[in-house]
Amino acid sequence: MNEPAPAERIAIRSHNDIVTARHAAREHSARLGFGRAYQTRLATAVSELTRNVIQYAGEGSCLIEEHADEDGCSIRVSVEDHGPGIPDLALALADGFSTSGGLGAGLPGTRRLVDHFQISSEPGLTRVVISIRKAR
Amino acid sequence: MTPSLSQVLKHRQDELLEHWLRDLSQTSSDGSFSSAHPELIEPLRELFYVLMTQLDQAASREISLATDQPSRLEREQQTALEPPLKQLVAEQARLQRSLSDTLGFLLYLKHLLFKALFAAADQAVEERSILWLDHCFEQIARQTFDLALAQRDRYISEQSISIMELSTPVLRLWHQILLLPLVGVIDTGRARQITDHLLEAIAKYEARVTVIDLTGVPIIDTSVAQHIMKTIDAARLLGSRVVLTGISPEGAQTLTKLGIRFGDVISRASLRAGIAEALLITGKRIAAMEASPR
Ligand SMILES: Nc1ncnc2c1ncn2[C@@H]1O[C@H](COP(=O)(O)OP(=O)(O)O)[C@@H](O)[C@H]1O
Ligand SMILES: [Mg+2]
Repeated sequence: MNEPAPAERIAIRSHNDIVTARHAAREHSARLGFGRAYQTRLATAVSELTRNVIQYAGEGSCLIEEHADEDGCSIRVSVEDHGPGIPDLALALADGFSTSGGLGAGLPGTRRLVDHFQISSEPGLTRVVISIRKAR
Repeated sequence: MTPSLSQVLKHRQDELLEHWLRDLSQTSSDGSFSSAHPELIEPLRELFYVLMTQLDQAASREISLATDQPSRLEREQQTALEPPLKQLVAEQARLQRSLSDTLGFLLYLKHLLFKALFAAADQAVEERSILWLDHCFEQIARQTFDLALAQRDRYISEQSISIMELSTPVLRLWHQILLLPLVGVIDTGRARQITDHLLEAIAKYEARVTVIDLTGVPIIDTSVAQHIMKTIDAARLLGSRVVLTGISPEGAQTLTKLGIRFGDVISRASLRAGIAEALLITGKRIAAMEASPR
C-alpha cells in the first residue's frame, strides 16, 4: 500500500470538471489499494455530487484527501458549493425526489454507496462529505 | 482630400499590386512573413482590389471624417472587406499556414503604400493622412484576426461534432438486429444524438432487437442511467426490444446501490451473450457447420 498522497482540490465549474473529479477519486482509491468495486462506487458518488454542484449551484469545489493509520486507510471527499442550498434535506435525501426532472437517486444513492455520508446545507453553503474506508 | 494618397491609389495601383505579389512570393528578409503559397495569389489579388476601392472611397471622404461618423465608415469598409479577407484566412488555414503570415502580408502592403505615398508626394505628406492610413490597416489587421479566430472556432466545433458522430455509430449486426456500442462520456447533447441515430436506424432497418453495449462507458451514474433509460424507451416505442450488455460487475453493484433498474430489458454480462440473445429473439442461432462427409 502506498503512503497517503497530499490532498487534491478540484474546482468544479463545467461538465469536464465532473469527469476530472471522478477520475481523480478513482485514482486516489486505486493508489490506496481499494478494489475495483470500491473505486467505482466512490467515482460514481463523486460524479453524482459534482453534477449536483453544476446543476443546482453553478460551481463549487471538490477536495479529495487520503488518510492512513495503523488500522487501515480511507479516502474522504468533500464537495461544496455556495449556491442556493437545499431547503429540505430529508426530502432531498428521499429516493425519487428531484426538482429538475432527474431520477432523484443521486443523494440517497450516494449515501448507500459510501461508508460515511454527511450533508449540511444552508443558503450560500452546501457541503457533502463522504468517505470510504478499508481495514489493513 | 489628400491629393497624394488619392493619386497613388488611382494611378499606381497596378504597379503596387505587382510589387506586392512579387515580394510575397519570397520569404521576407526580416522574417515578418514566409512566402505566400501560389494558391494564395488569386485571393490576395482579389483582396487588393477591394481594399484599394475601399481606401480610395474612404480617402475622398476623409476630410469629413472628423465630423462624419467614423464608425459608420469603418463598418462599410469592414463589410466590403469581409468576403475577400474571409477567403484569404480560410485558404491560409487550409494550407496550414499561420495567421501571423496573413497579417504579415497585409502589413507589408501598408509598408509599400507608405513608400509609394512618400515617393509620389511633391510636398510633405500630411500627418493626418499617415495616421488615417495607419488606422485603416490597424482595423484590417484586427478584422483579420477576428475572422481567423471565428474560423478556428467553427473548425473546432465541426470537429467535435464529427467526433461525436464517429463515436455513436449504429451498426447493423444482422437482419433486424442493431448494435449500439456506447463509448465515453454520455452527456445530454450526445444522449440526444445517440437516440436520434438509433431511432432512425431502427425505422430504416425495421430492427426488432437493439443491443446496447455499455462496455465503453466508464461510469454509469444516475444522469447517464436516465439517458440510457430514455434511449431504451424510445427504441421500444418503435417496436424494438432492447438487450443491454457490458455492464461490469462493479457497475451492476453500483447501479443496485443507486436504486436503479432498467425496467424490463434483457441484460447480459457480455456482448457475446447479448448477441446470442438477440439472435434467439429473431429466431436464429449461431451453430457449428455440419461436418462435411469425407
Ligand atoms: N448542491 C445542491 N444545491 C442545491 N440543491 C441541491 C444540491 N444537490 C441536490 N439538490 C437538490 O436535491 C434534489 C435531489 O438531488 P439528487 O438526489 O441528486 O437528484 P436529482 O439530481 O436527480 O434531482 C435535487 O433535485 C435538488 O433540488
Ligand atoms: Mg443529482
